[in-house]
Order: sequence, then structure tokens, then C-alpha cells
Amino acid sequence: MVDPVPGDLAEVAAAFDRSRRRLAAAEPDAIVFVASDHFRQLVTSNMPAFMVGKAPSMRGTHPNEVREFGLPVREVPGDPDLARDLLGRHQLPDGFDFAFSDEPWLDHAFMVPLLYLRPQLDVPLVPIFTNCNAPPLPGAARFAALGEHIRTTIQRSSLERRVAVLATGHLAFELGGPRQLSGGSPGPDFDEEALGWIRAGDVAGAVAGCTYERLLDAGNLTFQFLNFIALMAAAGAGPPELAEAVHCRFGPEPFMTWGST
Amino acid sequence: MGFDVSRYMIDKLMWEIDRSDEALDSFVEDPAAFVAAWEGAASAPEPPYPLGGSLTGEERDAFEAWDYERLYALGAHPYLLWHFVRAIHGPGGTPVGELSEAFKAAVAPHGYPEFAT
Repeated sequence: MVDPVPGDLAEVAAAFDRSRRRLAAAEPDAIVFVASDHFRQLVTSNMPAFMVGKAPSMRGTHPNEVREFGLPVREVPGDPDLARDLLGRHQLPDGFDFAFSDEPWLDHAFMVPLLYLRPQLDVPLVPIFTNCNAPPLPGAARFAALGEHIRTTIQRSSLERRVAVLATGHLAFELGGPRQLSGGSPGPDFDEEALGWIRAGDVAGAVAGCTYERLLDAGNLTFQFLNFIALMAAAGAGPPELAEAVHCRFGPEPFMTWGST
Repeated sequence: MGFDVSRYMIDKLMWEIDRSDEALDSFVEDPAAFVAAWEGAASAPEPPYPLGGSLTGEERDAFEAWDYERLYALGAHPYLLWHFVRAIHGPGGTPVGELSEAFKAAVAPHGYPEFAT
């Protein structure tokens, strides 16, 4: 974060900066953040489909991400009351069997965006960890339902928070396979269709198009696109204010923003 | 032991090696000793759940030889595998770009093996 930004990442940094200013303008009291742990805290000895973090404070990141990515270790404030609105206090909400954590540990999927979008790390966070890495994964329709649940919970909450909903993921993506780190997308056809769903706010189209096989074919780790389906549904399935794909060494990086709903 | 359990153990060992500098250094220094200790832990009278596990002979050979092509073909999770490969080659080892090209060439003939556990 302190080194000069390499040329091909300057556009990514600029896109993050646009999102940072948009988030600041929204003046959120809390952030609900949908992202996927990368086998840092969660492994297949115990793998939740959807896990809500309800701690008053939480740590990012893990020692192996400090070693490998050079990420700093930070504390992030939490919002246990808002987390309990999402989870239920004594019983889970009808139709959603969340796991929960009183000691969530945030990996780069949360920390890298937060360090760009809200470097002060001063907005209380409710992380929702989604399993997009270890099959069997929740299906695309469940991600849409998750987004709808986030939306209705915020609307009905007695806390009257101004809540920003964030999600991270990617378009077609491959790592640990023959198409990795190629400087382009492993699945440009998927990317084009996916950007179409985003630009139209087409949750139903995205759900229909995101079968396990289709995502795998686009790139062996494309599954985190599913987090964007939750985001689209949380936004109310309308077109976004902004949807763009910024090209860099990792392929096209998607950025999207919806206004207040 | 079923096939799926076997993939889980490959993933679990890669995860345990990568998650701490101490484990990583220990594995890099002596892979066979690390794997033996890891398998020994799981068969102790009071195994330190969730640590330790067991491998087939082919899997053990692959870990001891840093044979990522074999681990890929056996269905190692691709995310864990690439980070494991990067970690064991370390910052002073093969440059990442070069390592990535070698990795891609090695795994390409195997297509996309099932990695669900």
C-alpha cells in the first residue's frame, strides 16, 4: 500500500478511489460485507455455507497473508447488534440456516477492499463469509436469497442504521490451474455475459447463468462471482449507478455501485 | 480410505504447511520428517484435533518430492495448491512468473481433475 502503484494497477487504484469517495458520501453507520474466506479461517473440517460474524472487534489478516501478500495486521470494529438482526437473537430466520462466529478472522477478501475503501477502518462491520471455494457450494439462487435477506433485514431493522452493503469477488478467474496468471481472462465470454447481468441488475439471469459447471468452465475459481449476485439482490435488482471492468495483470476487475435504496 | 477423504488429507496438509512460518520452514527443511510427524500426530493416543492426518503412499511421495504435478492430478484444491507451491519455493527461490509458467505446463496435461472433497 505504500509502494508506488505499478502502471497496470493504476486504473484499479483509481477505480477503488472512486468507490471510496462514493462510500464516504453515503455516510454509512455500518457495513455488511459479503466475501469469501480463502481457507484461512475456514477449512473443510468445518465448512459453513454462509457464516455471519458478530464480534465487537475482529482481526485481519492471517500470518500467511502477511507473508505472501505483505498485508498489514489491523483491528476492525464490529456491529454485533446488526449481526443479530441478520441472524436472529435466539432463533435463526426462517429459510436461512446461517453459521455464526464470535471470533471471525478477516482475510484479504475483506481487508484489501476495506484498506482501499475505508482506510480509517472506523465503520463497524458485519462480515458474511460465503463458501465459494470448497464444493458443495450454495447454489446461485441462495446467493440471491442472501442478498434479499440482507435488504429486508436492513429495511426492517429497529436500529435505524445507514448500512452500506459491500461484496467482493471476481469475474472469470483461475488460480492453481493451466490458465492461471495469463495476463487476461480465462473466460472472456462469461465476463461479457456477467457484466450484462450486472449492468441490467438482472438477478434472475445471473442465477440461471451461474451453474457450477458454467462457472468452473469460465475459470477454475470463478465461483466468487456468486457474491455479486447477493450484492445485486441486496440492491433491489435494479441497474447500478456504475458498472465497469478495469483491466490489469489479474484480468478484468469488476467495480459496481448501486445508490441508496 | 475413500477417494474423497484422500483429497481432504492432501488439502489439510497443504493448509497446515502454509499457515505458519514455523511449519513452512520445518517442511522446507525436511519434508519427509515433517510429513512423518504430521502422520504420527494423528495416530497418537490423544490426537491434537484438528491437526495431523494420514496419506497414501503416492501422496506421501508427492509431498516429499514437492511434486505439485502429482498433487494436482490427485485432486488437490487449486487455490491451496498454488499457494502451497509459492510458499515452499519461498521469496528467495524461483521467481513467481517463472514458477507459474512451469506449474501451468506441468498441470495442463491433466485438465481439470475433480477437487471436491
